[in-house]
Order: sequence, then C-alpha cells, then structure tokens
Amino acid sequence: MSFPSDASVLEPVQQIIEAIGRSADVEEDELSSLSVAVVELVKNAMEHGNQNDPDKMVKVSFNIFPNRIRFMIDDEGTWEPEKALGFNPGEGDELLSTRGRGILIARNLAKWVEFGLTPEGRTRVTLIWPLT
Amino acid sequence: MKIKEEMKGDVLVIAFSGKVIGGPELVEVKETFQRAVDQGCMKVLLDLGKVSWMDSSGLGVIVSGHTTLSRAGGALKILNATKKIQELFIITKLITIFETYTDEQEALDSFGA
Repeated sequence: MSFPSDASVLEPVQQIIEAIGRSADVEEDELSSLSVAVVELVKNAMEHGNQNDPDKMVKVSFNIFPNRIRFMIDDEGTWEPEKALGFNPGEGDELLSTRGRGILIARNLAKWVEFGLTPEGRTRVTLIWPLT
Repeated sequence: MKIKEEMKGDVLVIAFSGKVIGGPELVEVKETFQRAVDQGCMKVLLDLGKVSWMDSSGLGVIVSGHTTLSRAGGALKILNATKKIQELFIITKLITIFETYTDEQEALDSFGA
C-alpha cells in the first residue's frame, strides 16, 4: 500500500492497520496500540523522509507470520531518527516539547522497531508485532 | 474528533471525543486553549473519557495547552484518561507533568476557589 504524505490519509491508515491486526487475531484491546505505533512511524516517514510533500509516497507493506506481523514503512528520503529529531522529548526541559514523541511511543508499544535502508537506499522502518 | 466546552463554576471543561489524530483539526484545539486564556479563564479541565484513539499529535496539543495556560498563570488538568491514553502519558513521562483525575467533582474541587 502506498499513501501520499498528507495528514488526511492518517485515519484510513489507522483503520487499515487495525483491520490487518484483526485478521491476524491481534487481541481487540491491543489493536489501537498497534495502529498508534504504525501511524507514528508513517507520520515520521511523511515528515522526515518526504518533508510532508504530498507528491512523495509512503509505502506500507506487511507480512503475517505464525508468531508475528512484520510491517515495513518506506519513504523517499534518507534520514536517521536521532539526527532528525535532535533532542530527547522524554527528558528534562524537552519534556514539554509539543512534538517529537512518535518514535518513543512506537518503540515502547511495539516489541521491535528498527531503522534501516531499502535496497534502493531509502529509509525503511521495520516494526515487529508478536502474536500470542 | 469533536470538541465540547462547558463552564462549571469558574472551570472550563473541554471534552474531546472520537479520534485525536494528526491534521488541521488540532489547530482548532490549540486555539481553544488560547481562547480560554484570552477570555480570562485560567482553570481548564480536559475530559478525555470519550477519546477512542489518540497518538503523539494529541499529546502535543495537550502539552501546548498546558504551556499556554501555565504561562498565563493558569492550569490544565486531565479527567478520565483512558487506559490507552494513560499508557501514552507514562511512556512519554508526561504523567509527571499533569494532574489526572477520574472523578469530575474531585477534579473541579482541586482547582480551589
């Protein structure tokens, strides 16, 4: 699935991710945590990878394995999370920042979030959601 | 997302409902907090009990409201944060910033006279 870098697609993305989770028997109580984690990463891809340019796309792909779902979120840029943010929103004076909590939240809600590159050298974030 | 405002005594109770997701509607939320300050209302209680989904964008506007009110000498407190929202407050350590309540009357009383 590919989406333009436009905030208007976030709600459809949220609904699609929950539908994927439901089809993989993610517990109902956990569906919103799953969708929050993925939507946070999609928003980061839009902002940091694609500079919120609606002509640039974010690609979300997934695989359902017997014990986990793997999501891959690809954008059209090359960026690193620590450099993109430049501060730690969960510490000290930065605690009251109005932005910058997306990756922190995704990493805490999901069991595994890793930043890497696509074969073409673009940023790819991989999120693993275990199935119990 | 829907926003409902109601004065209870000298406290402005703002209730969000539905999904608090990124987008232009969050600008309206920020304006709600600023309008409260502009009108001299420094005590704001934010009821999140009917929020079905929220992410970091929602947290961002709540922090913005906190900053707006604090700088004006006021306070923003949280009512009825769901289990999922409470989890976000803990992950981001915002739980250390905000007073949260599950009982509206207790929350209203906490502002004092």
